[in-house]
Amino acid sequence: MAFVEQHIHDAPTSFWSKYLFSFDHKVIGKQFLWYGIFFLMVGGLMAMMIRWTLAYPGVPFPLIGNLLFPHTGGVVPPDTYAMLFTMHGTIMIFFAITPILIGAFGNFCIPLMIGARDMIFPTLNMLSFWFSMASGVLLLASLCLPLGAAAGGWTSYPTLSTNLGQPGMGQTLWLLSLFLFGVSSTMGAVNYITTVITLRAPGMDYFKMPLTIWGIWLTSILNAIFVPVLGAGLLLLTFDRVFGTTFFLAGAAATSGRGDPVLFQHVFWIFGHPEVYILILPAWGIVSDLLSFFARKPAFGYKMTALSLTTITVLSTVVYGHHMYTTQMSPLLTQSFMTLTMLISIPSAIFFANWLGTLWKGSIRFHSPMLFSLGVVFVFGLGGLTGLYLASTSIDLYLHDTYFVVGHFHYTMAASVLLGGFAGTYFWMPKMFGRAMNETLAKWHFWLTMIPLNGIFTGMMVVGYAGMHRRLYNPFIYEFMNKLIPINQFITYSAIAMGLAQFVFLYNFFKTIFFSKNEPLASDNPWEVGTLEWQIPSPAPHYNFKEIPHVKCGPHEFGNPNLKTGRDFQYQTEELVEVK
Amino acid sequence: MNSNRAHDMKLIQNSVAMTVTLISFGMLFATLFLGYFLLRFNSPTWPPVEIQNMPQLIPFLSTLVMALSSVTYYLLEKNGPQRKLMWGLTFILGLAFLALQWSLWGALKSSGILVSNGMVPSIVYGFTWLHAAHIVLGLIALLWIGCLIFMKSPSLTSFKLMNVGKFWHFLGVVWLLMYLMIFVL
Ligand code: HEM
Ligand SMILES: [Cu+2]
Repeated sequence: MAFVEQHIHDAPTSFWSKYLFSFDHKVIGKQFLWYGIFFLMVGGLMAMMIRWTLAYPGVPFPLIGNLLFPHTGGVVPPDTYAMLFTMHGTIMIFFAITPILIGAFGNFCIPLMIGARDMIFPTLNMLSFWFSMASGVLLLASLCLPLGAAAGGWTSYPTLSTNLGQPGMGQTLWLLSLFLFGVSSTMGAVNYITTVITLRAPGMDYFKMPLTIWGIWLTSILNAIFVPVLGAGLLLLTFDRVFGTTFFLAGAAATSGRGDPVLFQHVFWIFGHPEVYILILPAWGIVSDLLSFFARKPAFGYKMTALSLTTITVLSTVVYGHHMYTTQMSPLLTQSFMTLTMLISIPSAIFFANWLGTLWKGSIRFHSPMLFSLGVVFVFGLGGLTGLYLASTSIDLYLHDTYFVVGHFHYTMAASVLLGGFAGTYFWMPKMFGRAMNETLAKWHFWLTMIPLNGIFTGMMVVGYAGMHRRLYNPFIYEFMNKLIPINQFITYSAIAMGLAQFVFLYNFFKTIFFSKNEPLASDNPWEVGTLEWQIPSPAPHYNFKEIPHVKCGPHEFGNPNLKTGRDFQYQTEELVEVK
Repeated sequence: MNSNRAHDMKLIQNSVAMTVTLISFGMLFATLFLGYFLLRFNSPTWPPVEIQNMPQLIPFLSTLVMALSSVTYYLLEKNGPQRKLMWGLTFILGLAFLALQWSLWGALKSSGILVSNGMVPSIVYGFTWLHAAHIVLGLIALLWIGCLIFMKSPSLTSFKLMNVGKFWHFLGVVWLLMYLMIFVL
């Protein structure tokens, strides 16, 4: 495709235009990173309160309990518990993972890795950030309402989320906040998709793009198509709450021609299942690249990986019914959804095998980004397998709404995406902020995260398999649950350990950015990889590329014995050296 | 770089971006229609409760107005000299559409069809509100185009005209579908 070069703009000079209302994709990416890390901490604190309640029901939350819940002597009250798991889920999915993986890495990586000077619509990009800012503020504001924030779960099914289930403004603000978030995501998606299609540097074919870009691009396509579906659902629910329509109200009124609560579930999951792939695809892309970079080998089956990711993207649009097996669908439908869901394991298995193929006989460098990537391989493997159990209708009738599901989606979504996000952060840190983070601390961070993480989520699957339901304030009022208290305490201790380990990261992160001014800047290419962003200075200059690069080979050309350059890798701008 | 290629490239960029944008907006309305079909076909009778005096004339008129405004916008894009006139007509027709919707809501209310009366009123009100909100967006875009036209601004490119036009025609098509679903079928 004809390529047209973007002009180099003058460097911004004032604080205002440089850090706040910046048009620069790199700055906007960093803004999203800060935003995501902030919400990660908020959501993490909420998780601690949830876990504490499940391990020690009726015992005051340590340290800050008395401050937060004075009227109960520091014990998390039941209605607050519902609010906590709702806000935890919402915050982690929409306000932590999405901004970090899509907002931060999407923004930062796309132009740099395809050889462009910026996104195609910089103003839209800035607007997208400020919309998500507004949405975050609304969500946090809803925590201060007299009746509390939303408490109907992140899925906000009616009737939990209608005026019957949730009086007050909390749920309404939640709806508006998510709608704004959706607007922001859609703006981002339009920008990312168009940028990838039209701004690739000369020679950067689709099959020469790094897999990171593949992941983010496919995610954006899903975003553009399915976030508006959620938007429609949110608006109709808002109408029900505020203006008195009855789209999702039923009950006795069903006979008088009211609406249908299950309709919301359809709308939610038509969006919701693609959404889980929206979250994981960027992480898959990043990990696919990093495995090759640090195994010093070409990505095994690069094209197959890209195509399997595409297949998964397509299939993910037609499997949403597996979240609704228990809603009295016709068996014909459940069987079809089950078959389609199982079909996804074929492309998943292909790219997973490709990951292993990449590692096979590699000369692996165990730097921190690689450790985290290997972590993703492990936790995603486990999480993906548990999905198959849930996909099978007969098993799911038992497992649905138990902690097994919670374990499943934390392994696939929380753990994989979190570790993938850390891998990306450690990897691109030198290019983003000019200096790499401390490796020793990073490795400590990895092990201190990885071990408790598995304790938490395996524990959840065990208690779920034993029949513990999710979203119960105190499951132990059922006698048969009592034997599960020790495992729940184990999960809680693991969670506290993992939470504390994140301070290692925070310390390292802040230290590198703010308190390392005297240390030298990182070299252009500290990890010795060949993608375009590593040929420009660290940190990347505001115009990215002085001259637009001409791409001649793929992103993973490693370990070619015929290379005469003294390096074991090729830059993407170099003519491919044949391997005989 | 020759300017022809730059023009082609800009055309591609604008078309891609606008296609994605319209797919997004389209999915919003498609979801509404999906909801409509699910509710309708799961209901043993339609309408589930007898609805009397559903206004017919007003929505028919708004459909006409919407169609006309698409025609005038098309002419606005086509010819230079009558640009201002065509822009004015489009904008007035857009406003007229909003006014008609407003009177539709009034007519519904005065014939006893209130928002909270159940499924059919929910659909009629909810869908028309959402569509009207998008018409407001469209009018804002038209106003912006109008400013550029009247100020003879050099930044008024054929791409801007094209994009706003696509959005406006899209809203027309959505309205036609809504009209057929709610008032005709
Ligand atoms: C490998 C293939 C996968 C299969 C076969 C699969 C299957 C399923 C099934 C059947 C359920 C419904 C369980 C129930 O509610 O009873 C489920 C729930 C869920 N899955 Fe997966 N899954 C897979 C991968 C993933 C991935 C990659 C993610 C995220 C990145 C993910 C995230 C979720 C979430 C968030 C839920 C539950 C949401 C909720 O109810 O709150 N899954 N999965
Ligand atoms: Cu799913």
